[in-house]
Amino acid sequence: MNRIPDRTDQATAGGPVFAPDEQFLQLSGIVKSFGDFCALDNVNFDLKRGEVHSLLGENGAGKSSLMNIVAGLYTPDKGEVLIRGSAVAIKGPADAAKLGIGMVHQHFKLVRPFNAVENILLSNPTGRYDQSIRRMRSLIEEKAASVGFEIDLDRPVASLSVAEQQRVELLKILVAGAHIIILDEPTAVLTDEEGERLLTAMRKLAQDGSSIVLVTHNLKEALNYSDRITVMRSGNNVDTVNPGEVTSADLTNMIVGQSIVEQPHPAESIGEVRLKVSGVRTARDDSARALDNVDFQVRSGEIYGIAGVGGNGQDELVSVLMGLVPVVRGQIHLHGQGDITRARTDERRGFGMACIPADRHQYALCGDLPVADNFAISKVLEGQYGTWSRVDRRKITAATREALSGYDVQGVRREDQRAGLLSGGNAQKLVIAREFSGQPSAVIAHSPNRGLDVLASAAVHGYLRSARDAGAAVVLISEDLDEIMLLSDRIGVMNSGSIVAEFDMPADRHDIGGAMIGHD
Amino acid sequence: MTDGVPARQLWRLHLEIRDHMPLWQQMLVVGSGVAAGLFISVCVLMTSGVGLSALWNEFVVFIFTNPRNLSAVMTQSAPLIIVGLAAAMAFKVRFWNIGIEGQMIFGAIGATFVATFDIGPESLRLPLMAIFAMLGGMAWIALPAILKLRLQVNEIISTLLLNYIAFNFLLHLLYGPWQDPVSSFPHSEQFAVFERLTSLNWGKLDFSLVVALGLVAVSFWLLISSRFGFLLNFIHSNPLMARAMGVRVAVLTLIAALSSGAFAGFSGFVVSAGIESRMTQSFFIGFGFSGILIAFLARNNPLTIVAVSLFVATLMIAGQSLQVFYQIPFATVQLIQAIVVICVAASEFFMRHRIRLAS
Repeated sequence: MNRIPDRTDQATAGGPVFAPDEQFLQLSGIVKSFGDFCALDNVNFDLKRGEVHSLLGENGAGKSSLMNIVAGLYTPDKGEVLIRGSAVAIKGPADAAKLGIGMVHQHFKLVRPFNAVENILLSNPTGRYDQSIRRMRSLIEEKAASVGFEIDLDRPVASLSVAEQQRVELLKILVAGAHIIILDEPTAVLTDEEGERLLTAMRKLAQDGSSIVLVTHNLKEALNYSDRITVMRSGNNVDTVNPGEVTSADLTNMIVGQSIVEQPHPAESIGEVRLKVSGVRTARDDSARALDNVDFQVRSGEIYGIAGVGGNGQDELVSVLMGLVPVVRGQIHLHGQGDITRARTDERRGFGMACIPADRHQYALCGDLPVADNFAISKVLEGQYGTWSRVDRRKITAATREALSGYDVQGVRREDQRAGLLSGGNAQKLVIAREFSGQPSAVIAHSPNRGLDVLASAAVHGYLRSARDAGAAVVLISEDLDEIMLLSDRIGVMNSGSIVAEFDMPADRHDIGGAMIGHD
Repeated sequence: MTDGVPARQLWRLHLEIRDHMPLWQQMLVVGSGVAAGLFISVCVLMTSGVGLSALWNEFVVFIFTNPRNLSAVMTQSAPLIIVGLAAAMAFKVRFWNIGIEGQMIFGAIGATFVATFDIGPESLRLPLMAIFAMLGGMAWIALPAILKLRLQVNEIISTLLLNYIAFNFLLHLLYGPWQDPVSSFPHSEQFAVFERLTSLNWGKLDFSLVVALGLVAVSFWLLISSRFGFLLNFIHSNPLMARAMGVRVAVLTLIAALSSGAFAGFSGFVVSAGIESRMTQSFFIGFGFSGILIAFLARNNPLTIVAVSLFVATLMIAGQSLQVFYQIPFATVQLIQAIVVICVAASEFFMRHRIRLAS
C-alpha cells in the first residue's frame, strides 16, 4: 500500500507528510500528434501540492489534449509523466484513478436516468449493491459537505441542473480519492454566480491539500482563482506566471501572440423599427420557463442586447422569434412583412431572418453531414442550387469554398468533410457564413461567443457589427455581460420571462446587473 | 496494491476516429466483412458434416454456373430489393417501420381486390393492381405515421402490432369471401394471365426484377439527387437542426413514411402477381425483417440495396439446397445468414475508426 496520502492518512500519521513545494505532477517534453497535426509539441507542465493552477489558451491550443494525457485518455507519443517524482505510464482512466487523478470533462459522462448515488457508485464499484449503495450515500454526503455542495441525491441526473450535474461529476472523482483534480472549462456551462461558487469550492479543496488544474480561456477566472497560470499557444507552453504579477492585457498577449482588445463601435445610422415584439406570451411546460409579456423593438442598423441570468426565458425567446414555439398571446411584427406571429420557420427565414443559436451543434449544424451541405441548406430550402428534382453539387461546392475563405473558416481540407469535426470557433464561423450569406434583415444571435477563444469571438463580433452596419436589426442575447456591453447599442434586461428594464448606451454596468438579479 | 503503473515502452493499439474514407476502401472493408462471415460460416458448416468441396459446389459452382439457379437468385432478389427500398425510405427519416409485412399484405389485398372484381380493362389491369397495392400499403402505414407525428406514439410498436392485425384480416379473407372457388384451398383464385407479371423466359424469372430495378432508379433520384433527399439527410442526422433551419420535418417525414408503405405494398403485388400468381396466406413471411436487414447493411443507399439483396438471395437459395441435399437444419441456415450479417455490420466500425499500432 503506497498511495498518495489523503487527509485521513495525514491525520493518522500525525501531520503533513509532504514538503510545502512538493511536486504532485510533472509533465516534461510531451509530444502528441493526430495524423499530420501536431497537437502538443514538447510541452512542460508542473503541478504543486495544494495549488490551483490555471491552464490558459485559445481553442485548439492543446490544453485539453494535455490534460487528456494526464487523465489517461490519450497516450503521449513522446515525453514523460511523473507523479511525485516517479515516472508512470497511464494506460487508461482506471490507471489515472489509481494514481489519484480525476478529470471533469466538458461533456458530462453521466447515466441520465440514474440518480447521483447510482452514478457515483457506477464508477466506484464495491461489494454488494445494497450494502455499497448505503455506504456510498454516506460517503457522498460527507464529501459534499466538506466542499459545501448541496445536491439532491435521489432525483434522476437528467432532471438536475447543469451545475448540479457538474457537482455529481466532481463528487464522482472525489469519492474515488482524487488528489489531482482537472476541470476542463468548468464554468463554460455555468452562470457567473454558479461559476463563482464552484471555483470557491475548488480553492477550499486546494487548501486542504489537493491540487487543481483549471483549464479555461477565461482570463478573469485565471487571475482571480489561481496560484499560478500556465499559458499555452498552438501546442506549446508559452510561460508560467503568478497572477499577481501580470495584467489581463499581458495574458491576452501571451495567449494570442499579439495584442487584441476589442473596442466598442457604436452604430452610426439607425433606421426604422425593423422587428417589434409586443406582449408575447408562451405556454408553460415542465421543462421550459415560459415567456411572460415580452415587449421590445429593434431598429434597422442597431444591435439590441438582451442581458440576463441564464434560464430566464432566453432559449424560449430565440425559439419564439424563429417560429419554433407557438405564441399564445401577443404579436411579432417584421417591417415590410407585417404580422409574422403565425409564420412558419421557413417563411421567416425567407423574410430575411437569420439565427445563430447558442447550442450550435444541436441547432445549427449537422455534425454527420458534410461542411458543404451544412452551408448550403438554407439556400437549398429557398430553392437555389439546382431545382427540386436535382441538387447541384458542383455549385454548392464552389459556393462553399468561396464562403469558407470569405469567413476565414479554418480546418476544412475538403468540402465533403463532416462538419462535426470543426473546432468551436470554425463551426461558429461556418454557421455565420451560412446565416449571413443572404443579407439578413434581422439577426437573432444567442451567446455567439460561447466556447470561443479571444480571436474567434472578436471575429464573430466583427461579423455581427458588419451585419448591423449593412442595415440589419440585430438581437444579441447573451449571459455574458461583457459581450453585451461591448456590442450593444441598446440593452434590455430579461428576468423571469420578460424584459424588465431597458438602457441606452452608455449604460452603467451595475444598474444592468441590478436589473438582472432583481426579484420576480 | 501497486504503486501506479511502471513506465515502460509498450506496443499498443491506437483507436482514432476517421473523418473520411475513400469509396474503394469502404468497399474493401465491407468485402473483408463478407469474407470473414463466409469463413466462419464455412467452419460452422464443416463441423456439421458438409465437406469443403460440397460447399464450393453449392455456393459457387451450383449457383453461378447453372443458369436455372442464377435465375432463381434473381427471382428471389426482386421483392427483396423492393422491401429493402421500403425500409430505407422510412429509415431515412428515422421512422422505424417494422410493419413492412403488414403493408405487403394490404398491398396484396389491394391488387387482389382489383383482380378478383375485374376492375378496369384487361390492358390496364396490371397497372391498376400496382396502384391499388401501393394505396393499400400507404393506408396501412398512414395510421402509425399520423399517430407518431400527432401524438408521439412509438411507431416501432404500432407498426409491429399492425402486422398481426393485417395477417388475421388476410386469413379472414382467404378463409372467407376470397377463398379460391376452384380448389377450395385457403388462397385467392389464380390471377388471369394478364393479371400476372410476364415471365422473361429464363427459368422462373419474371418481369418483377425489371420493375424492381425501375424502383431503384426512382429511389436513387428521390434519396440521392433530389432536393427531397438532400433535406431527408438532415432529418436523418439531426431533426432538431433541420426544424430550426425551416425544414418541414413533419411533412417530409409523412411523405417518406407513406412512400415506404407504398413500396412495401408494391412488393406485396410483385410477389402475388409474380412468383405466386395469387394471394396466398404466407407470401410475405420473412420479407419484413429481410427488408430491414438489407436497408441497414446497405446504409439506405438504393444502389447498394441491389447488391445486398442479390447477396441475401444467394444465401437463401444456397441455404435451400443445403437443407434439401445435406439435411442441414433450417436453424443452421439462419445462423449462417446471421453470422454474415453481423460480420458486415461490424465492419462499419472500421469505416469510422482507424486503428494504428504504435510504440
